[in-house]
Amino acid sequence: MKLNVKIKRYNPEEDEAPHWETYEAPADPLDSALALLLHVKWYEDGTLTFRKSCAHGICGSDAMQINGENKLACSILVQDLVSGDGDTVTFAPLPGSPVIKDLVIDQSRFFEKYRAVKPWMITDGPAPERERLQSPEDFDMIEDATKCIMCGACTHSCPSTWADPDYLGPAAMLKAYRYNLDTRDDGSNDRLDVVDSKDGLWKCYTIFNCVQACPKGIDITRWLSALKRQAVSSQL
Amino acid sequence: MATETTERPQVATDTKRFQWYKVRTGMFAWMLHRLTGVALVVYLTVHIWGLRTLSDADAFNALITSYHAPIFKVGEFLLLGAVVYHALNGLRIVLIDFLGWSPNQKRLFWTLGAVAAIIMVVGGYPIIATLVSHFFG
Repeated sequence: MKLNVKIKRYNPEEDEAPHWETYEAPADPLDSALALLLHVKWYEDGTLTFRKSCAHGICGSDAMQINGENKLACSILVQDLVSGDGDTVTFAPLPGSPVIKDLVIDQSRFFEKYRAVKPWMITDGPAPERERLQSPEDFDMIEDATKCIMCGACTHSCPSTWADPDYLGPAAMLKAYRYNLDTRDDGSNDRLDVVDSKDGLWKCYTIFNCVQACPKGIDITRWLSALKRQAVSSQL
Repeated sequence: MATETTERPQVATDTKRFQWYKVRTGMFAWMLHRLTGVALVVYLTVHIWGLRTLSDADAFNALITSYHAPIFKVGEFLLLGAVVYHALNGLRIVLIDFLGWSPNQKRLFWTLGAVAAIIMVVGGYPIIATLVSHFFG
């Protein structure tokens, strides 16, 4: 089938503001949305700029807004985006961050927030001679959260993040959950100091855009709620 | 967060507070919660401002009489709707945050929506009956 591919283009050296351009691309229902962008770049306009690396939903490079919703371009199929020939698929950069060019956003704020929650193991005692063991039951608690690929689809779908650029956002706080609930970690209080704050957990209004956007199907709101409960019980 | 980053040209349009985004159940529930919340604050202000006349019996009676006008009956019905929705969705948020019911959030929204509809019909019946008899009675 033939599809219209509508892309929000922006070149800071030439354009005053972003604008929409429409291209035509052949597509198979089982193609990924990324294939549409690649067609445009290879055959229509080589200046089109977007991030992509593995194209298999692992590296998390190609998160963008597709048909009005944040998705991973390589992980969504054409058949799930359109109903038939001549339909339009829209591509825009992730909302809420400055745009560098076309579909590429400046991710520096996103990763500052990530580093702010101390996303590494913090331990009190001396290191054991061999690896730190964890039981399958203990791992079950954090398994869902470990699937995060840091694509940013969630944080950039969050109305709290749009309204408050300092809000830590779902991705960073999911990391805080992942380490705080890790039975091998002793740094819970360090991370609670960061997330139990004005720009942290309490600006999560359970809107669920992050859960909807996550290409890995992580129930982010569920784990942020668990982190809220941890923050409250640490005060008791 | 004091990490140094390179200055880059920024596009105001993509960092605005409000963004166009596909509205799914969760965001719909939140927007309606905000809307009814703000509406209830406005209502409470007007309500308390109205009680100012309590010191003067005649003024108070005149105010209460004016509340019998159809427009206030419609308002009363909307008020009932706002209170019922805000209360039940508040309960939904409590269940999500305190009991971890997040995986059931959509079903919870529609179930409580049905409960809200029943309360609206039962609680709103006297209001609607008054309106019907005013215009058609």
